[in-house]
Amino acid sequence: MIRDITIGQYYMVDSPIHSLDPRLKLIATFVYVICLFIINDVYTYAFSMLALAGIIAVSKVPLKFIMRGIKSIIVIIIFTAIINVLTTKGTHVLYELGWFTVTLEGVYMATKMVVRLIMLIVSSSLLTLTTTPIQLTDGIEYLLKPFQKIGVPSHEIAMMMTIALRFIPTLLDETDKIMKAQQARGADFETGGLMEKAKSLVPILVPLFISAFRRADELAMAMEARCYHGGDNRTRMNVMALQKNDYYAMAVICGFVVCLIIIMLVM
Amino acid sequence: MDFMVKANNLKYEYTRTFEADKETRTETFLALNDVNINIKKGSFVAILGHNGSGKSTFAKQINALITPTDGTLWVNGYDTKKEEFVWDIRQSAGMVFQNPDNQIVATIVEEDVAFGPENLGIESSQIRKRVDSVLEAVGMSAFKRQAPSKLSGGQKQRIAIAGVLAMKPKCIVLDEPTAMLDPEGRKDVMETITRLNKEEGITIVHITHYMDEAVKADNVIVIDNGIVVMEGTPKEIFVQVDKLKAYGLDVPQVTEVAYNLRKRGINIPADILTPEEMVGAICQLKLTI
Repeated sequence: MIRDITIGQYYMVDSPIHSLDPRLKLIATFVYVICLFIINDVYTYAFSMLALAGIIAVSKVPLKFIMRGIKSIIVIIIFTAIINVLTTKGTHVLYELGWFTVTLEGVYMATKMVVRLIMLIVSSSLLTLTTTPIQLTDGIEYLLKPFQKIGVPSHEIAMMMTIALRFIPTLLDETDKIMKAQQARGADFETGGLMEKAKSLVPILVPLFISAFRRADELAMAMEARCYHGGDNRTRMNVMALQKNDYYAMAVICGFVVCLIIIMLVM
Repeated sequence: MDFMVKANNLKYEYTRTFEADKETRTETFLALNDVNINIKKGSFVAILGHNGSGKSTFAKQINALITPTDGTLWVNGYDTKKEEFVWDIRQSAGMVFQNPDNQIVATIVEEDVAFGPENLGIESSQIRKRVDSVLEAVGMSAFKRQAPSKLSGGQKQRIAIAGVLAMKPKCIVLDEPTAMLDPEGRKDVMETITRLNKEEGITIVHITHYMDEAVKADNVIVIDNGIVVMEGTPKEIFVQVDKLKAYGLDVPQVTEVAYNLRKRGINIPADILTPEEMVGAICQLKLTI
């Protein structure tokens, strides 16, 4: 059924990574991604890869799930590889192909970019695989709070994300109902070319949008009736607090960065 | 003040735009016209009326979602026209809407119930206590970590009631809360409402078009075209079968049966509201024969 789809790609299992504070996981991912753009040689690459492999092992998320994320961007990866191989200029020519020359430097560059890209995807999908959308939202709200002073509506962003998450199953349900209703009256969504298929979506989208606006209106009223008045003076039931494991994780992150810097300085 | 809700010559006017003969026209429309309603603290009042009678408009007035055009409405002693009282009013008179899907904010049941208290700025340990106790009160404790989308309509509506209860209101206004539910869900919601009224002493304003739900109330108010046309106990109201039908309303099924039996010359009371009363009346009939 359409309503059974899971939002995001959270993989439910009990692991030390899953139980970490979402704020910490967000920061850690951020730090790791920055590191990926700084590292430049084989040693630092190997070290970062090793660290990532270690975290994957601790997270208990099967490799199959992590690979799924890479599969969806395989086209981009191949494209990046080809572009890098063909356009990098170098002295060690390996192969000449009409206008293009494949050089050793090109192959080296392409490998580096592809590995970097894969690590980028794996690390960020590890975040969404081990953190529920709600935890992520809470974490983002908290981390954006300092930017409120310069006009970033952190509470509003988080509230929007929560409501979006809340209404995804409802609207999917509704889409299903509308489709069935249109099919009952002879609408055809399966056959025809791309244009016809796109056209056949109009009778679904129009009622869906109208209903979404009506829902939004009613929800706004219901929220107001429950004294909602924005983020000021609002408290939360679940207050995020750092646990013992979070401090260990912090030490691991710091250790990782320090080691990376040492390797870069020594090599 | 003894009254939870006190309406004094309440008027509410709104303009609606519509298209006629290819031009847009606006028309002012009196949704409420000189309404005088007094609802006692701790009572259970049902408001009846057909679609467009103004009953929902009145409900929204109680929550200060809209304010009177003319006249005054006091809710728990606060004048709804005074903007400084708006949060006090909404805290003391909670509101449950018709569509359970469109009033649940969060993705987890307990988070949604916590939404109201969070808005009031209550301390987190206190919120946790309230959430646990109100979920217990509506009988939904077992579902507190679930996603609302996985619940049935009746369960969602009970969550919505819990969400209002967590704000510790003195009065709950329910705007056709059972209209979109199946019979099972309706029964659960009605049981929850009556229990809250009897045990917690919360004033209930129940807007409905199900007559058998109105029977459970202490008082029934009938609104037609923005005017209060009938007011009284369920028995006083439902004996007037012809009058109710003229306002486009039904009477409870057994009351209608009693009405028809009386028409045929069978001597049974006209104010029968429940099947049990009917059984009693029929048994006595047999005795007299």
